[in-house]
Amino acid sequence: MTNSAGAAELDDVTREALVGLVIRGMHRGALSPEQQALVDQGLAMAKGPMVMPTPAGTAAAQAVTRLAAGGDEEKSLRPLFEKFLPVNHQLRDLCTAWQLRPDGTPNDHSDAAYDASVRDRLDDIDDAIGRILRRMSEVTPRLSHYRDHLSASLERFDDGDAGMLTSPLADSYHTVWMWLHQELLLMLGISRAEDEKLEAELVAGQKV
Amino acid sequence: MPAAPAATTPLVPYGQGRVRGLGPAELGIHGDQMDRLVALGLPTVPGITVPVQSARDLTDPAVARQVVDLMEELVGRRVGDTGHPMLLRLVASAPVAASGLPPQVPGIGLTPTNAASLIDLIGREGDLYEVWASVLRLVAEDALGVSPDALEDALEGVTSAPAQVEALLAVCAAEGTGPVPEDPAEQLALSAAALMHRWDSPRGRRARRSQRLPDDLGLALHVQALHIGPWERSGIGTASSRDPDSGALAPTGTFHRGMRRSALPTDASGEPLDTLPGGTDLLKHTLATLEHHLRDVAEVTFELRDGKLSLLSAAALDRSSPRAGLRLAVDLATAGTIDRRAALRTVRPQVVQELLHAQLRLTGDEKLLAKGLPASPGAARGLVVLSSQRALELAAGDVPTVLFSSETTPGDVPALLAADAVVTTSGGLASHAAVVARGSGTPAVCGASDLRIDTVRGTVSAGGHTVHEGDVVTVDGRSGAIYVGEVDIRPAEPPAELDTLLAWADDVRVLRVRTNADTVRETEAALRLGAEGIGLCRTEHQFLGDRLPVVRRYLLAQDDAAHREALDALTDAQCEDFTALLRAVGDRPVTVRLLDAPLHEFLPHDGAYEDQSQLDRAVEMREVNPMLGLRGVRLALLNDDLYPAQAEALFSAWVTVSKEGITPALEVMIPLVSLPEELAIAIGQVHEAADKVEEQTGVRVPYLVGSMIETPRAALLADQLAVHADFLSFGTNDLTQMTYGFSRDDVESRLLTGYVERGLLAASPFVEFDLDGVGALVAIAVQKARSVKPDIKLGVCGEHGGDATSILRLAPLGLDYVSCSPQRVPVARLAAAHAALEEST
Repeated sequence: MTNSAGAAELDDVTREALVGLVIRGMHRGALSPEQQALVDQGLAMAKGPMVMPTPAGTAAAQAVTRLAAGGDEEKSLRPLFEKFLPVNHQLRDLCTAWQLRPDGTPNDHSDAAYDASVRDRLDDIDDAIGRILRRMSEVTPRLSHYRDHLSASLERFDDGDAGMLTSPLADSYHTVWMWLHQELLLMLGISRAEDEKLEAELVAGQKV
Repeated sequence: MPAAPAATTPLVPYGQGRVRGLGPAELGIHGDQMDRLVALGLPTVPGITVPVQSARDLTDPAVARQVVDLMEELVGRRVGDTGHPMLLRLVASAPVAASGLPPQVPGIGLTPTNAASLIDLIGREGDLYEVWASVLRLVAEDALGVSPDALEDALEGVTSAPAQVEALLAVCAAEGTGPVPEDPAEQLALSAAALMHRWDSPRGRRARRSQRLPDDLGLALHVQALHIGPWERSGIGTASSRDPDSGALAPTGTFHRGMRRSALPTDASGEPLDTLPGGTDLLKHTLATLEHHLRDVAEVTFELRDGKLSLLSAAALDRSSPRAGLRLAVDLATAGTIDRRAALRTVRPQVVQELLHAQLRLTGDEKLLAKGLPASPGAARGLVVLSSQRALELAAGDVPTVLFSSETTPGDVPALLAADAVVTTSGGLASHAAVVARGSGTPAVCGASDLRIDTVRGTVSAGGHTVHEGDVVTVDGRSGAIYVGEVDIRPAEPPAELDTLLAWADDVRVLRVRTNADTVRETEAALRLGAEGIGLCRTEHQFLGDRLPVVRRYLLAQDDAAHREALDALTDAQCEDFTALLRAVGDRPVTVRLLDAPLHEFLPHDGAYEDQSQLDRAVEMREVNPMLGLRGVRLALLNDDLYPAQAEALFSAWVTVSKEGITPALEVMIPLVSLPEELAIAIGQVHEAADKVEEQTGVRVPYLVGSMIETPRAALLADQLAVHADFLSFGTNDLTQMTYGFSRDDVESRLLTGYVERGLLAASPFVEFDLDGVGALVAIAVQKARSVKPDIKLGVCGEHGGDATSILRLAPLGLDYVSCSPQRVPVARLAAAHAALEEST
């Protein structure tokens, strides 16, 4: 019998492994001892070369990550999250621009000027997320690693690893960004649907 | 750091660069472009360029003062003046096209003193303050050395634009190397310093590196005058000269009203141009002028200041729509700006194909199954299939199919090519399926996420409808709609300007264009598209459908009487078909290919035979390798009444239509010849049929008789064939198969895609004619045939006859005509013109 009890009983390392797994959605490759423990407890499942959280694991991770409703941390983080969403929208647009030209044809990356203009726009986004992360980290220090993580992806991209902007199979800028987004949602207890609605409102509000 | 004494800094007003002998190397791309626009007499924003070589001088307030003075003199207004207000904008451009340039600095000249009266004039507070805040941010960070963190802290919690301006002015005074000056010249010098700082920053360097531009690439700086007026009558917009759908000359784009935009937003907001204050007449005139200058579809960015339109940039539109490019070419040639040959050259034959997509005739009663992304234009209907394998099976039997798939992989390519339309439930416009479909001209709808495909039960459902594998659906690749059942499809009609262009192509081309058509319907469609006759009428068609039982009776007949009776019935039926076809052809040439297909193809596959002897006969006819078996002329030698019967039917039909005043030029073609003797015997059979018809009707039917060249041997012995034949037609599909030893059905999906991916082949030789191998055979055959009969008629009737690349390769070999499927006729006409133009240069 597996014991899928709450994450409260997990030791710190295993709990971090669980939260990490839920934020990333899945892990590909060999299992760490902590991940094995998660599997043993029914909080994660191994499928072929992949480990994914079970619904119980996701719920447990949500429970430990969620900030106290109405608490100071939530109150401070929430407005920063609302600054994050319009930038999040810009990043999605930028990733689309990297993949598709404005006329909808695939970007075959033969036009260096076009690619450079997209890359140049990314600097504004990177500056903006840098400012937001600086403030977020003051409130929630565990988010501070994202700044370095994003910079590392960008550096590898600029060094010629073209997949490091949007590839879903690598720790690309977009992938790391999605982790950040997911972690914020978990901490603030916001569903994906609420998130999309909120983003649409905030983006529309900017354009008035 | 000012680089040179102020007195030597050249200042070049827009429009005066060329007369001073300056080009993009000095003026930057933008300065050069504005020079040309001024020369064309087009409305431009007033501006002054500080050339690349001395642009850094502008960071010197003394030089900036000269610029401000000159601008005030040019415009007749004073910067910051509240009565006739003007502000300045600073823009950078490089000597070559480059991305990642520093941003524009709008609103130079704003001060806490003049802001209030300017806001009165604009009529909205936010606009001006937003522009101002953006300028201050840039100046603070890149010229006054305020740290990003200090800026961020200063702006924390400050949401209104006026408060942001106040906070920014304060942080500059407190944390910067100096306060923000009020003097416009000093502001301009600081702005110039900020732009240069940006260009020198790691970000600027990276942008240059990624475009392989020199690290020390300079910038020209341009100072523009901004007239200030009411926000409702101001804004920025972009317009291209042509409507992408109709190709008509009509400004197409968006307009962003208000003062605050300094660069075009990248999102989809904005108003359509027909709301432009003051109307679009000037814009239209401007774009038309530009088109004649650029000889291309033009795109401009413009601004409206107090209702006054001025251009900010103008260039040829990157990737204009096929229709726009075509119509422009015709318009320019009609106006005499370019000659017709130049117009022909600018239109790619592939574009013609894109313009000829079929469309749906909607009545409003259609049952919509689902909608997805319009991934590849055109319309098609067919049977629902849920697997690649099924699509290939049905396509082999010429059954139209619509392939439904959740997503596709490269292994599905053959099925994507075989299907008449493709629908995917996931994936976007750049998905694999979409890319392949557009490449092959197959209508496609992608990302139709409402669809539920159940491969186990063989159903597709959405919107309350469920269709089963084998049901008919109709797909509109232009709108993304999928309809249940059959919707009427209107065949592609060439737009008027295409007719014009193709008429010019006809004047230029040497190669004639015929069509491969088996039915009246196909013939009419091809003639409408400009075919000059039929280059291949496959008679197999006449043996299928309700004729099949008669054909089987003929093949399985036990005795001579039954055999004869069946043959007569077949001859009568064929005569009917030919009569209808010849009426459609009119007085044009028509090449009728006598039966080519292996006879067993007409026999039932299920073994439903009447008796043992029929079964025995069927077993006897089975072949191991039908492609190389009893086909074509070989049949005529085994069944010596088959070709005479076909020829008799054709000649009788000619007699019938000739009495109606229609006299088609008949060409009877013998397929799959490899021995000159085979051809001689088959031709003898045709002549006997003509004699017989003459005996019966008293009419001597005029006709030519010739040979197909599908085997390498036939190509190598073309001189011997030419002794007997009046014409030769290259069946390049079979000739390619036999030259390579490729069985097309077996290699195309499994081998050739891999060969192309690995670079062994540039393209499938069945799609693009192989000039090196098959082309060598054709060249030998042409030379040998003409050595015997210099005026022998030579043509191509394979699919290559409709492929633009192949036509360019075939034309120099000295052929008289190509023949292709009806919908490819326009492509072939244009490609043939291109071939002629290429030869003449």
